[in-house]
Amino acid sequence: MKRFMKNKNGQFVIIAVLMIAIMIISIGALMHRAVTYYKHEPWEEYLTLIGSIELNSRSLVELSLANYTNTDSPDLNILRTHLEKWQINLTRIYPGYGITLNYTLIDSGLVCDWNKNASFSAANTTFDLNINSIGLKEFKFNAVAHLNLTILNVNNSTNEITATVKEENEVPIFNLKKDNFLVEGSNITSVTSSYDEQYMLVYIIIFEGTITTPVTVTVWDQRGIKVTARYSID
Amino acid sequence: MTTHGNKGQMRIIEAILASFIIMFALSFANIFAITPTSPKYEVTELQKLGYNVLHDLDEQALLARFIYNAEWDNITAALRVLLPLDVYFNMTVYELHDSSTRAINNATIFYGDIETFVTSKNVASVTYGLAGYATKINGTYQALYEPRIVALQLVRG
Repeated sequence: MKRFMKNKNGQFVIIAVLMIAIMIISIGALMHRAVTYYKHEPWEEYLTLIGSIELNSRSLVELSLANYTNTDSPDLNILRTHLEKWQINLTRIYPGYGITLNYTLIDSGLVCDWNKNASFSAANTTFDLNINSIGLKEFKFNAVAHLNLTILNVNNSTNEITATVKEENEVPIFNLKKDNFLVEGSNITSVTSSYDEQYMLVYIIIFEGTITTPVTVTVWDQRGIKVTARYSID
Repeated sequence: MTTHGNKGQMRIIEAILASFIIMFALSFANIFAITPTSPKYEVTELQKLGYNVLHDLDEQALLARFIYNAEWDNITAALRVLLPLDVYFNMTVYELHDSSTRAINNATIFYGDIETFVTSKNVASVTYGLAGYATKINGTYQALYEPRIVALQLVRG
C-alpha cells in the first residue's frame, strides 16, 4: 500500500495514457463517420432534382420564345410572365425543399431579327438556384434558345432555295422536313438536306413554279421556334 | 532523467500504438464488411431510381411528349422497360392551376399488384415538375406554359 502511495507519478501516467487512448479512438470514430457519411446521403436524388429544375427552366425559355415567335400580336413580356409563374410553381411542385429560383433578363430576354438573309430568333436567361434543404446556394446556369435561318441562294431555273438552319452554338439542325418550312407565294415540293464543306449541312427546298424576289422563307424547328428570312437578289 | 520517467513515456507510446492498431483493425474490417441492405435505405433507393427514370425520359424529350399528348400507354410501356421487373409503379399526372391541382390521367399508369402498395411499409413517392410543351395543332405551333406534376409511387414486389 505504501508503495502505491509513493508511486503517484505512475498512476497519473496511466490515467493520462487512458485518456489519450480514448481521445484517439474517439477521433478515429468521428473520422470514420465523416468519411462514410456520404454513402447515406441521397446525392443522386439531389443531382436529379437540380437537373430537372435546370432542364425545365430551359424548356420554359424555349417555349416562351416559341410562343413569342408564333403569335400574331406577340407579348414582349411573355418570358418574364412565365418565369414569375415558374418561380411560384416550383415551390408547389417540390414542397419542403426550400427552392428559390431567381432569374436575370436583359430587357425582355427575347430578340427577333427577321426578314434578312441571315435571320434569327433568340432568348436568353440567367438563373440562380437556391435549395435550402440541401444547402445549395447560388447555383448559376444559363438558358439560351436560338434559331438561325440563312438563305444562301435562290435559283429560279432549278426552283431551288438553299438555306442553313442552326440552333445554339451554331449547331446545324438535322431533322427538319417539308412541314417545317414555308415559302411565301409558292408551294414546297420537297426538302432535302446535304453535307456542305462550309456550312456543314444545307437544306435544298424545291418549290413549284417561279417566285419573284424578295423570297421569304419561314422555318419552325422541333421546339416550335419560328424564324422568317428574306432573300433579295441585288 | 529517471527510470520512472522513461517507463511513463514508453507506456504512452505503447498506448498510442495500441490505439492505432485497434483503429486500423476496425477500418480494415469495415472495408470487407458486407452489411445487409437496411429497410431504412430501401425507400431512398427507390426514390433515387424513380428520379433517375423520370429525369432520363425528360432529357430525351419523351416525358413531356407522353404527358402533354396524353400517351398513357406509351409512358406505362417506357416505365416498364426502364424500371426493374420487381419494382411496381403507380403514376398520377396533375395539372397545376393557380390555387389547385387536378389529376388528368383518365387511364391508369400502373404496373404490379395493388395490394403491395397497401401492405408494403416501403413505398417511395417521387414528384417531378414539367413546365410546358410545344405542339403542332392544325399546322400551327402552340407553345403554352402549362405546368404539370408527375407523381410516381414505387414499391418492390
